[in-house]
Amino acid sequence: MKVCVLLRLVPDLVEELEISENEVVPFQYIPNERDEHAIEEAIVLKEKLKDVTLDVVGIADPDSADEIDEGLGFAAAKGADKLYKVILNRQTFSRVEIAKALADFLNDRGYSLILTGVQAIDSFAGSLGGALARFLNLPYIGGAVELNLNEKLYVKKELEGGISAEYRLPLPAVVGVLSAERPLSFVPFTKLRQAMKRAEIEEVELEVPKISGVELVRYETPPEPDVLMLEGDVEEVADRIVEVLRDISVI
Amino acid sequence: MEIEEMLENLFKRMEEVPDYEKFFQCIQCGVCGGSCPYSTGTVFTPRRMVLAIRAGIVNEVIESFSHWLCSSCFTCSLRCPSRVPITDAVIPALRELSLLQGNPPEELASALISIARYGNPFKKSPRKRDDWTKEVEFEVPLMAKKKSAEVMFLTGCYGAYHSRCRKITKSLAKIMHMIGTDFAILGNEERCIGDLARLNGEFGLFEELAEKNIRTFSKYSFSKIVTHDAHAYNALIREYTKFGFGKEVLHHTQFLHKNLERLKEMFNSLDYTVTYHDSCYVGRRNGIYEEPREVIRSIPKLKFVEMKRNRENALCCGGGSGIWLDSVIKERVKYRPAESRVKEAFSVGADILVTACPLDVPMFEDALKVTDLEGKLEIMDISELVLNAIEG
Amino acid sequence: MKVLVVGETVNGEVQNITYELVSCAKKLGDYVTLIMSDADVSSIDGRVIKVNAGEPNPVYYKIVERVIELEKPDLIVFGNTSIGVDLSSQLSTNFPIATRVYNVKSSKNLKEVEVRSMAYGGKVVVVLKLRLPAIVVINAGSYDAGEGMGKASVEELELKYFDIDDVEFLRYIKPEVEDVDISKADVVVSVGRGIGDEANIELAEKLANLLDGVVAGSRPIVDQGWLPKTRQVGKSGKTVTGKLYIALGISGATEHTEGIKAKNVIAVNTDKSAPIFRISRFGAIADVTELLPVLIDKIREIREK
Repeated sequence: MKVCVLLRLVPDLVEELEISENEVVPFQYIPNERDEHAIEEAIVLKEKLKDVTLDVVGIADPDSADEIDEGLGFAAAKGADKLYKVILNRQTFSRVEIAKALADFLNDRGYSLILTGVQAIDSFAGSLGGALARFLNLPYIGGAVELNLNEKLYVKKELEGGISAEYRLPLPAVVGVLSAERPLSFVPFTKLRQAMKRAEIEEVELEVPKISGVELVRYETPPEPDVLMLEGDVEEVADRIVEVLRDISVI
Repeated sequence: MEIEEMLENLFKRMEEVPDYEKFFQCIQCGVCGGSCPYSTGTVFTPRRMVLAIRAGIVNEVIESFSHWLCSSCFTCSLRCPSRVPITDAVIPALRELSLLQGNPPEELASALISIARYGNPFKKSPRKRDDWTKEVEFEVPLMAKKKSAEVMFLTGCYGAYHSRCRKITKSLAKIMHMIGTDFAILGNEERCIGDLARLNGEFGLFEELAEKNIRTFSKYSFSKIVTHDAHAYNALIREYTKFGFGKEVLHHTQFLHKNLERLKEMFNSLDYTVTYHDSCYVGRRNGIYEEPREVIRSIPKLKFVEMKRNRENALCCGGGSGIWLDSVIKERVKYRPAESRVKEAFSVGADILVTACPLDVPMFEDALKVTDLEGKLEIMDISELVLNAIEG
Repeated sequence: MKVLVVGETVNGEVQNITYELVSCAKKLGDYVTLIMSDADVSSIDGRVIKVNAGEPNPVYYKIVERVIELEKPDLIVFGNTSIGVDLSSQLSTNFPIATRVYNVKSSKNLKEVEVRSMAYGGKVVVVLKLRLPAIVVINAGSYDAGEGMGKASVEELELKYFDIDDVEFLRYIKPEVEDVDISKADVVVSVGRGIGDEANIELAEKLANLLDGVVAGSRPIVDQGWLPKTRQVGKSGKTVTGKLYIALGISGATEHTEGIKAKNVIAVNTDKSAPIFRISRFGAIADVTELLPVLIDKIREIREK
């Protein structure tokens, strides 16, 4: 069975973003955490089923093309079999347009299962998974936290309020992963280096089509929050929190 | 991983460490276990680890978690009559097996991932590494601007980011400023030196860090490095040399000692009783025992007392390579060395417990709270004591 | 403007987000709500189209598609929920779409609509213009559910020649047996990534004990295995409704803040621009690992007196 996972880069929020009207510039890009969970879940599936080949498709822009390599290296170190690096020529933030470009790339490659992280912090115009499924004419389900295969695919999907539900899908299908059923496994540096040395990354450039209808007006910094800040050093802050706790009669 | 593969990996790694062949000279005496602060909670003491490796049941060691119950305090290695490099070879090589299997303790994994990504274990932005300089009244010179200085002052991760340890960094910077040392810091160009990553078995990451840091060092002209980070000091003099680094490195206890004549002129008297804790990688590992004592003793009126366990017999604070294994160790060992140590300091009549490694200070301050010694005993780095004496 | 609200039900119950969406639609013009199960819909305000299909299912986007053909709305609104994202994203290949929206600007113009979206973990507001007809996916908590409640006029709709068996709903899975129910606790001490080490969870527990509260956390903490799933606050976890929520080292992405309905929120974070402060009554810039020991001592002293 051929499984494919899509790996995206997202802005690293450890440092402030530079926000202007028509641009958001991050300090650096890091792999999308939900996509890392999708890779982990694919590895879990591979361990459960044996007969699985895993392709990981890294998606990058021309200016983040190098940064995706490390993410792909991690995937290879964990057990991915084949790596692709897809460089998008785009002017767009629209996930739907990206989904269209990827669908053309993924079509006819014989994947039984395509996994993607269910969300990315920098998406605001659509979500990749569902759109991709439609372009490929495959069934879709998001919010997956556990996958099992027994002829058909069994998916545990998280709903709201701590409730989950189980669904059954025929393959091939597209699944949006929320989190893997186990914590992300660790990859030591030596293993990463070996994997990156060994790995052959097939590079592909994709033209992203224009599908009009969504227009960016501007980016804005959110307004100052309406919150009473308790100022001071640690001692003073603690004292003021105690005061608050008294005022609302928690103590 | 199959046992054969585990053993192959283990020996390949141990072979790289000097004196590795002493491993085969282990006489199974048990001095190591008897010296280990965590021996009460472990299935495999170092002696039994060596035995298990010889017997080809290394997997049982890994499954028992014994290799994680170690803070690399070096007591076993120093006392070992056969000089088996337990701390530098056996334990890290065992730990590396867990890393290769992908399942080290969570806390450690997240620190290592953060070091690889941001150059510090705290998941903080590398651009905030020099934030502490905004908290001193004078401008701390940056290597990037100055290009050349007599002393390159290396802060280490704890000294740069940990708010308690930053006070130590600021004290030392202030002293250098006051005595007119020509110094500069790397600021945001500095990366984790990596000693604790190495001692936790992350050899690959350590290499990467060493190469990166040495490349950064080579951009500037300086004649020596001064650092208060005992593990940074250790790695620079013992490990970085393997990657071609050859500059002089002074631990801040040595730096203060070298400038003692100048400092003495500035000292006011301090009416305290003080004891000194020999931090593992200052004392036991690197033999710096007398310099800090001389510095402390030269403060007028100050009364200096020794604890029973001093110099090479000093008790570890429990930090070291165990700093990211706290929850793992806590689950298995009831004994907390830091608590025992602050009680000891209090019992000899000290008002202040002076140390020389940034990891000690928060460890001991935490221990004060649970031992009910808060307000009765103070913890200070030696640079804080010196600054105290200068400022009166 | 005519708005189609895609409502949500779980286990035969209309979900709160449905009323919030109706409340949003009401501000924009005419509206009709689609419900795709046999739930009791009587308290949804206005026209309701009921297609009795079954439990929530991502493949029901086909039903929505059919209803769009029948009703010809200018705007279709979904909740930013597990099922809402599934449905809307599958329809996004035919309609312009904006996600994570918290505000839709009303306008008489039937060509386009301006929306505001909260992206980048709540650190950037994105203003977008969508050509109509379009889809907007709205964050929970953006509109007042009360305004969406009223009296329903229900129309049953039967869809014929309809094949939607490729995704089958099998069963609900109730959360594991819980040690404590954080949604019912009066005081919740909640931890996020800023807690640093797993060992520091103990500090949060100490504080919670002193305040007769319980410990909860954000998704990353649960994903890492530091707290059980039953302690997760937010979109896919629990909603807390008690008197006090203390958010320690939680940045406050909307996925998390949706689950906070406590009367008072105190947030502590080192990042002064953390979005958690937007929903807090009190805030402090501090490292929680430093603040907690001090705070615990102070409260303990008071408690002992």
